[in-house]
Amino acid sequence: MRLRPSLFWQARALDSHLPLLLPVCRDLQSARNELRWLSQHVDDKCRTESREIHHNLLSNYVRRRAGGEPLQYILGSEWFGDLKLYCRPGVLIPRPETAASTSYLVHRLSNGILKNLLPRNLRVLDLCTGSGCIPLLFHHEFYSSPDHRMSTLELIGMDLSNTAIRLAEDNVINQLRLQQHPSSNGEERLKSLRGLRVLRADVMETSPYSASVTEVLRQHRGLKETPTCDIIISNPPYISAKAFRTTTARSVRHFEPRLALVPHNSRHTDSEHDGDAFYPRLLAIANELEAKAMLAEVADMEQALRVAALAVKERCWEGIEIWRDDPATGRVDTTDVGKMSVRVLGDGHGRSVFLYRRLGAAPLAD
Amino acid sequence: MSATPWVCLRCLRRSAIRQRTIARYQSTVSVANNISPALLSRARTIAEEHATLTKQLATEYDATAAKRLGELQSTSSAVKQYDKASSALEELQSLLRSSDKELRELAEDDVEPTRESIVNASAELRSSLVPVHPFAHLPCLIEIRPGAGGDEAALFAGDLVRMYEGYCVQAGLRFALLKYETAEGMAGTGGAHVQEAILEVDSPGAYGMLRSEAGVHRVQRVPATESKGRTHTSAASVLVLPSIAPEGGADMGENSFNDPKSDYYVDPKDVNIDVMRASGAGGQHVNRTESAVRLTHTPTNTVVAMQESRSQLENREKAWRLLRSRIAQQRRDVREEELARLRRGAGAGKAGRENKVRTYNWGQQRVSDHRSGIDVRNLDDVMAGGDALERVMASVRAWMAEQEVLSLVAEDEGRTSSKR
Repeated sequence: MRLRPSLFWQARALDSHLPLLLPVCRDLQSARNELRWLSQHVDDKCRTESREIHHNLLSNYVRRRAGGEPLQYILGSEWFGDLKLYCRPGVLIPRPETAASTSYLVHRLSNGILKNLLPRNLRVLDLCTGSGCIPLLFHHEFYSSPDHRMSTLELIGMDLSNTAIRLAEDNVINQLRLQQHPSSNGEERLKSLRGLRVLRADVMETSPYSASVTEVLRQHRGLKETPTCDIIISNPPYISAKAFRTTTARSVRHFEPRLALVPHNSRHTDSEHDGDAFYPRLLAIANELEAKAMLAEVADMEQALRVAALAVKERCWEGIEIWRDDPATGRVDTTDVGKMSVRVLGDGHGRSVFLYRRLGAAPLAD
Repeated sequence: MSATPWVCLRCLRRSAIRQRTIARYQSTVSVANNISPALLSRARTIAEEHATLTKQLATEYDATAAKRLGELQSTSSAVKQYDKASSALEELQSLLRSSDKELRELAEDDVEPTRESIVNASAELRSSLVPVHPFAHLPCLIEIRPGAGGDEAALFAGDLVRMYEGYCVQAGLRFALLKYETAEGMAGTGGAHVQEAILEVDSPGAYGMLRSEAGVHRVQRVPATESKGRTHTSAASVLVLPSIAPEGGADMGENSFNDPKSDYYVDPKDVNIDVMRASGAGGQHVNRTESAVRLTHTPTNTVVAMQESRSQLENREKAWRLLRSRIAQQRRDVREEELARLRRGAGAGKAGRENKVRTYNWGQQRVSDHRSGIDVRNLDDVMAGGDALERVMASVRAWMAEQEVLSLVAEDEGRTSSKR
């Protein structure tokens, strides 16, 4: 949509920086918000410097933002649920939809079928963890509920990128620093956060030498046999090469790492659905580790249905759900995938697929 | 003879003029001033009603009458005490005029304690008559917006924000700026061009202290933006809303917002939550920074938008708090309007948005409140939120209490006339 020239005049009357931000922000209000956040960041960064230095730095930031660089990379942080996490170029910026699904998952743990299905003391694995946002928010939400105050929680994040692992570790250290102070925090809460590890593993096992998820987890725990885990969460790259060229926002395409957005190994599937490459691997890993529940983010409802169909074919998942952007609104639809009825929760776009099963149950009959 | 050989005429004249001392000797004025005639007459009608009810109850028992009697008891006894004390004072006054010296001395000794008892009795009378505002114990939100006057009004709004911040510091109230929206790009002419500021004063009882501030504040001065030295008149509106503790307010009692009977209860089903959603696929495809949250309360069409923070959760929380306060205020306004219909004719000017309540005049360094009629010369101290401001506010509080009583009287009259 073309912006009206009068809007630029209006913006210029307010602040000389605003017209630059308008094309990226698309409307005056969000341009004003971003300018305010940028200037707050400048103020925080150099309190004692002169006005001129402030102004120069702000102009520099505005120019970078006008060039399409994500605001989160310039400010170096992003809010994810209740947590403020570090952000750095080279690692995907956490998205609010991911936070909504993660919070909803933790909310679901304490009631209904999942409460019976899962043990009190959980072991959670997050694949393609990026900034470490999912395990950190899971931890925060988990211990915010009074039901879980005394439970233990083992969290492990895995990623292929060393940049991401370093950032995730920094985020964990930062959260430790922030959460250590209040004495009201439970002992288990701190213990769990201290035990949060981010390890390097390759979900796709692109080469025979790359570290597989199971192997890394086995070595980490110091076990001889195959390790197990209760919940697998993942926000894998899920955009097809074509969709990456055509549908992604410019700032995403030019500034966020392609590794985190597009599956790099797309030989397994046809070119139209080459964004789906990770899901068969995730399901296979869930089987290897005997996971009782799995949550995987997807791009839209079509991909969600394709992933649900994959899970139906496995015949070992007792429940399959599709969650939309905001799964907690209370709206529930059902749709049939193969022979199973799949519940679709919440409002917005199809955002993630959630699977659960009872451990040791026989494969479901035809 | 004088020790000095010569004194200049001007000095001589000056010494001849006696320094005028302002002192009040034994008069009844100061004591009588303590309690307004309106209050007293209302108290007397209550005392009369009390007397008739007592007589009535002596002959036959009536449950409702007994209950009413209990309600009137405190006022009636306060009136009796007050009457006793004032008649004692009158007696003493007549004794003071007597020719007997010994008697006069005795009376003089008694004057002070009697005066004190009058003060006590009138304080008791006032507290028994003036209804305590139902929200007086709550913390409050002060919303400040510029009114007529453009730039200068925005500057003045900024001054008001600083004034209330200063006041809170002086009075030991905890406060935080919930929202502080300035117009960017206004060339720095000293002070902030405030578009909207919301100050949250979260000490209990803040609403009772600050509710006198609601209304339009007028400023008369030569603005910083004025080049020709002309005095401008601008205005800023101040809205004071009772506020609630964010969560887990066990001490909130009836105002807990989970209680459907409370004013603060807002049914989540009635509220539409709009968050900025990307129009495209969302998820990894886009990277949005919009964190604005807009809440619409459908039954009353109240809209609250928050976009201060980058955290959507924080915006949502703040928006809910604001929405609850606004709706509670609306509910209270509706109730008060109903009462005001009864109180019509009492001249109880409710401090709405439409009428100015106070003027700050820079040229004369003077602040005058149009409700209580107080004039304070110390403008700088007022603008710093110091004692002078407290003096103005105290006078307004007294005025409001009096108005409440007046309107109660009118309400009673209205009731009796409608009965006829």
